[in-house]
Amino acid sequence: MDYYLSVATFAALNVVLALGLNMISGFCGQVSLGHAAFYGLGAYAAALCSVAGVPFVASIAVGILVAGAFGVVVGFAALRVREDFLAIVTMGVGFLFLGVVRKQSWLGAEMGISKIPSPLDKTGYALLAIGAAITVVLLSLHVRRSWMGRAFDAVAQDEDAARTIGVDVAGYKTTAFLLGTATAGLAGAIYAHMTQLIVPDAFNFVQSITILAMVVVGGIGSTLGVVLGAVLLTVMPELFRFINDYKLLVYGALLLVVMRFSPEGLAGLYRRVSGRRLA
Amino acid sequence: MTMLAVENLSIAFGGVRAVADLSLAVQRGELLGLIGPNGAGKTTLLRLMTGVLVPDTGVVRVDGRDITRMPIHRRAQLGFVLTHQVVRPFREMSLLENVMIAAAQRQMRNPWRALVSVDTREARERAMRLLERLGIADAAAKSARSVPLGYLKRMQVARALALDPQLLLLDEPLAGLNYTEARRLADLIVELNAGGLTIVLVEHNLGEVTRIASRLLVLHNGATLAQGAPREVMARSDVRSAYLGGESVAFA
Amino acid sequence: MFYVELLVIGLVWGCMYALMALGLTLVYGLLRILHIAQATVFTFGAYIGLLVANRTDSLPLAFVVAALAAGVLGPLIYRLVYEPILDQPPFVPLIASIGVLVAMEDGFRLIFGPYGLSFENNPWFTTTLAFGGITLNLVQVWMVAAAVLLLSAFALFVVRTRAGVAWRATVSDPVIAQNFGVSVVRVRYLNFFVASVLAGIGGVLVGLLNNLVEPSMGSVISYKGLAIIVLGGLGNVPGTLVASLALGVVESFGSVFLDKVLDRDAMAFLFLIVVLMVRPKGLLGGAH
Repeated sequence: MDYYLSVATFAALNVVLALGLNMISGFCGQVSLGHAAFYGLGAYAAALCSVAGVPFVASIAVGILVAGAFGVVVGFAALRVREDFLAIVTMGVGFLFLGVVRKQSWLGAEMGISKIPSPLDKTGYALLAIGAAITVVLLSLHVRRSWMGRAFDAVAQDEDAARTIGVDVAGYKTTAFLLGTATAGLAGAIYAHMTQLIVPDAFNFVQSITILAMVVVGGIGSTLGVVLGAVLLTVMPELFRFINDYKLLVYGALLLVVMRFSPEGLAGLYRRVSGRRLA
Repeated sequence: MTMLAVENLSIAFGGVRAVADLSLAVQRGELLGLIGPNGAGKTTLLRLMTGVLVPDTGVVRVDGRDITRMPIHRRAQLGFVLTHQVVRPFREMSLLENVMIAAAQRQMRNPWRALVSVDTREARERAMRLLERLGIADAAAKSARSVPLGYLKRMQVARALALDPQLLLLDEPLAGLNYTEARRLADLIVELNAGGLTIVLVEHNLGEVTRIASRLLVLHNGATLAQGAPREVMARSDVRSAYLGGESVAFA
Repeated sequence: MFYVELLVIGLVWGCMYALMALGLTLVYGLLRILHIAQATVFTFGAYIGLLVANRTDSLPLAFVVAALAAGVLGPLIYRLVYEPILDQPPFVPLIASIGVLVAMEDGFRLIFGPYGLSFENNPWFTTTLAFGGITLNLVQVWMVAAAVLLLSAFALFVVRTRAGVAWRATVSDPVIAQNFGVSVVRVRYLNFFVASVLAGIGGVLVGLLNNLVEPSMGSVISYKGLAIIVLGGLGNVPGTLVASLALGVVESFGSVFLDKVLDRDAMAFLFLIVVLMVRPKGLLGGAH
């Protein structure tokens, strides 16, 4: 039972992470290869607070805020560069985060932060994570339906045309980053308390790629597709235990195959089969 | 009364002066035609007026206010709308959706306000009415990818109108249209102007633009060559020679 | 004196980066693809070079075989991975490329083991040259020499040979080039071949430099390579060279002076971000 709870919790956290990235890259069209950095920022901020005695809920809130704040900074920086550059810049942000954290002793350097206070038990975390996931799913669906989602769509399709019809492109891009990174921060904060130990390597480029894989396999832009992608990619390595040793090989091959044969992911397959868009 | 004025505007691209020390005032309510041979600077001028380009020197003023550094989207929000020479629809959206986005501009001004607005009814109705006015309502649900150029050009105008503009800048709206389509769109432009909308029009279709414009301004090599009533301007020999080897000089 | 030494080391590293980054900029210039999978070709070249060197004890042979092997793998990746998806939006080839990188790195780990292999006989590593108070080993010297030779060869090729001119035309304007009878497909294969040979040779050199060939050796250099080509102006060959050398020097000085603050590998990205904030078009600005 404990084991299933664990898997469910990780699946839920991955859903939160993937949906956040989906808002940035899927809804608003801003490629981000450094999402794990915001996961890490939320985790570290929450961990530092908790270790210093700050109450659980407040620590989580700090995690969300810190990740979101850095997200806004990156969003602003992203405004200055073109699309092709953006992928590399966000990748760079990820490496920069790691590079700094690895060297700072107050952040635990290579050893990370341990003995993070944990007020909940396994079931508690599962419920918390699933609750967070459901909230983010609802938020994501709502954004899509709202005028914010439509504005994101316009920005993603043609920035310049969007500007000429009065859309504040810069404001929307930054908002997309804020929403996406704040949710990553939420996931990170929960993760830190749950595992009680966080190390820099948990938030590296491979982690960013893994989250990206979930979004891509699920179908960039589709909330339900991405949920499916996240759950699938969390559960699959567990189901096929033997994959664990070949995990990266499978991830890589999966990205390749999906891009080659169905760049719109599972949501795209659904659309081709049923003729309707998956929300 | 002057609505928009540019003063001593200059811009150069890689050593070539596209617009040279140009000054021009657009009067409220007029239908101004900007003509001139290829490369005269007409599109550049429109882009300078709407903020797509920032001039090297000179100012752009609206009702006396300096808006030279104002970003594009703010100018659009203030009512200065440009339609592009090469149509830029949102390709993944239908014609109706394309216009709806513009119609909902006020709701989308602030991202957070946009987050809580879900109501599409008003925007949809306004957009539909505009599509009907432009005569393209039959293709409302069709994707922008799949309709002919004439429809896209009219959709562009509908989209611009959805923004409730006070000044409409049209960059070659008739280009690529056949005789009937061009005539129809030109007539619509006259109607819009008659309804009080100030319009600046860049056109190569001299037949239509001399027919509908209240004032013509001829640009050559980035500067004003002549301006005034269409007939008089077209009768000038220096205007004709500027067009040497170029356009069809047939006018009503 | 110390500073001069740092500078020289920096330039050596810069040459190493140049071998990787050049390939990246060539691919981008032609196809607008961020060929992150270049890391795979690099590492592949290193493994092949090591295997040949350990078998035959001949470094020159190792280089030749490695270069050719890499020269086959690169175009193969183009054919199997990129060609079918050229008309898709840019994130598709990028993610596919990441897929190749991640999968092949794991593949190398599974085939050759996670701990890496060493050269049995590495004379260049042990032979040193001293001049002006600075000591460099032969690998470092060859690194610079290789970069200089290969780049000059490339420059000559591009200017003097028909194939080179055809290549330049295709980069400039594929449609017009085609109208003049240039086979765009051939140019693409040639492009990947050249980019891959450079990477393969770079791989062997880095393997010799560290006396170690391991599965992930290409990835970090590839990531930095991407930062470099952005700095140099995507598609801009001279810019890429300048950026490569600049990064090498920045890292060299940075690893001494910023040691307490930042990981060496992150310096490339700090450099990138700082430069882009000041000059959004890169060090030299825009492609040519």
